[in-house]
Amino acid sequence: MASIDIESVRKSYGPVSVLHGVDLAIKDGEFIVLVGPSGCGKSTLLRMIAGLEEVTGGEIRISGNRVNDLAPKDRDIAMVFQSYALYPHMSVADNMSYSLRLRKTAKDKIASAVSSAATKLGLDPLLERRPKALSGGQRQRVAMGRAIVRQPKAFLFDEPLSNLDARLREQMRAEIKKLHADLKATSIYVTHDQIEAMTLADRIVAMHGGVVQQVGTPLELYDTPANLFVAGFIGSPGMNFLEGRYVKTGEGAGVRLSDGTVVPVAPRAGLAPETTVTLGIRPEHVVIAKDGMLEATVDLVEPTGFGIILHLSLHGLPFKIFTLDRDALSAGPTVRVDFPQKHLHVFDETGSRAD
Amino acid sequence: MMHQPMKHNRPPMMKRIADASEPYLYSAPALILIVAVMLVPLVVGISYAFRDIQLLNPFSGGFVGLDHFRALGQDQAFYGALRNTLWWTGASVFLQFTFGLILALLLDKPFYGRGLVQALVFLPWAVPSFLAGLNWAWLFNPVIGPLPHWFYALGLMDEPHNILSDPHLAMWGPIAANVWWGIPFFAITLLAALQAIPRDLYEAASIDGAGPVQRFWSITLPFLAPTIAITVLLRTVWISNFADLIVVMTNGGPADRTQIVASYIFTQAFKRLDFGYASAIALVLLALLLVYSMLIVLLRQTMLNKG
Ligand SMILES: Nc1ncnc2c1ncn2[C@@H]1O[C@H](COP(=O)(O)OP(=O)(O)O)[C@@H](O)[C@H]1O
Ligand SMILES: [Mg+2]
Repeated sequence: MASIDIESVRKSYGPVSVLHGVDLAIKDGEFIVLVGPSGCGKSTLLRMIAGLEEVTGGEIRISGNRVNDLAPKDRDIAMVFQSYALYPHMSVADNMSYSLRLRKTAKDKIASAVSSAATKLGLDPLLERRPKALSGGQRQRVAMGRAIVRQPKAFLFDEPLSNLDARLREQMRAEIKKLHADLKATSIYVTHDQIEAMTLADRIVAMHGGVVQQVGTPLELYDTPANLFVAGFIGSPGMNFLEGRYVKTGEGAGVRLSDGTVVPVAPRAGLAPETTVTLGIRPEHVVIAKDGMLEATVDLVEPTGFGIILHLSLHGLPFKIFTLDRDALSAGPTVRVDFPQKHLHVFDETGSRAD
Repeated sequence: MMHQPMKHNRPPMMKRIADASEPYLYSAPALILIVAVMLVPLVVGISYAFRDIQLLNPFSGGFVGLDHFRALGQDQAFYGALRNTLWWTGASVFLQFTFGLILALLLDKPFYGRGLVQALVFLPWAVPSFLAGLNWAWLFNPVIGPLPHWFYALGLMDEPHNILSDPHLAMWGPIAANVWWGIPFFAITLLAALQAIPRDLYEAASIDGAGPVQRFWSITLPFLAPTIAITVLLRTVWISNFADLIVVMTNGGPADRTQIVASYIFTQAFKRLDFGYASAIALVLLALLLVYSMLIVLLRQTMLNKG
């Protein structure tokens, strides 16, 4: 168990800068998810924590000790790879016990560690098999087992579920969460899948272009995204955005859209009148109403079973609504919509949240 | 009555023969070519072993049964050549493999100018074996080559002399040339196998606590094992048949100390012009190599079944 501190950590490959100064304090036992689109530097950050990549600048501390120049094996961390990286010439049991054998742990201790991990993960009947005789989900479990037998200070996961089919991914997600509740080990989990991030994390670190965009609990990121990137990345279907200008009105404030409609919003102290802003609203927060203030044409109706996604055109731009109301199935050819004020997000010209 | 319809349905004799022989006729050209090119020389060669074929003796050519093999059983030069073959093959394969593996491991790491170094390293492979033999013979010659003087300067020799004329050391001359010439083969094949090993296995192992040596034993070696087995097998058979360097550098001398079975066959056939006896020796060598290959294949099978 350990805390992990990351202080203005930078990484460049030759002249190419990949991480531009990351700060992050991870508490003991916390489950942190690094999320962001492919290529944003999540794996690079994780691999630097593991010791697989040199740290170009800044400092990484595990339990308060600087580890920048420590070899991976001396950091007492375990990592689960996307490819699982199981040793193909060893049985499942040998894969799991490899690290303990290297540390010359007593035989009976190894046996009990392997068997308790195997029981936790349901691997008991597979212990003598080679990795190539396992299914993808079983391999994934072995990779997890290999990590937990060591009882390391921290677990690092690099997209561990990406190679599984949707159903198995869901199932393993729940198991990882249970495992963490059970072991309470500090964990850093990298994924590009915002659902995984939302469901697993104690705190999410949203990254984009080598820069941390926001750190917070899943609901903080969902309810108060710090900028346009986080607002658009978290949530599915994604948030709707409308361009407009911030205006003062008699009762308060509003955003004037291109057609002149003024959408009332709570006043934002930091915004000068007539500045360009982006209005954001999540599809599930849009209200369909006969006397709604805006009219949109219905392009497509997508029933998901659970709910219905309406694909609309609003002022010629795509706009989505998510609703549980089955009446929406017969919506069209136009609908009128309303935006409840408390669900509106306003972002300034630079894309930052304006409150 | 009963024969009538059958007779009617039956095609004419010629047609039936043509139908039956059709597949054979189609494949005949290829078969004839293969038989002519591969089987005929083999059978003729094997038949020489049981006949008295001496190029300079116009009365030779008769069938002598197992006479050649009986003579071979008494032939001390043959036993000497057999021992030399073991030494020559064993030392050459071992050194080629060891240096080839080291080279492949070095070339597997990225460094500046790796492409150029790789190209240079593989150059010896492109040198004709006779040229390599001549070159090394000259290197060992104290009159024109530097090596004896270097050995002398290092205190390895009392005086700079030619090891190729020293009965106790002569074999190391062709072996050195062979190692130089054969390292690239191992380096190329092992490097290809090395580069096929997934990098994240090494990363996983280094996180698990494995040092470079442990990573080599538990990841690199198991991945290379099939390649090692097959290349060592091929090279062993090939080198034990490979007389070029010996013929060029020492011609089997001094005092038959570098005579291997393959060069002994060459001597019998093209120096003494006794093709019958040479064929008999070749047949024995063939049998020995077949036995060796079978053993290796069996070993591989049992290893695969166990693993
Ligand atoms: N060895 C490398 N050399 C040069 N660039 C690299 C290397 N590894 C990663 N990168 C670059 O760094 C960026 C971040 O990569 P990565 O951390 O793997 O992204 P993610 O895991 O978020 O998808 C990418 O643009 C990638 O091209
Ligand atoms: Mg990645």
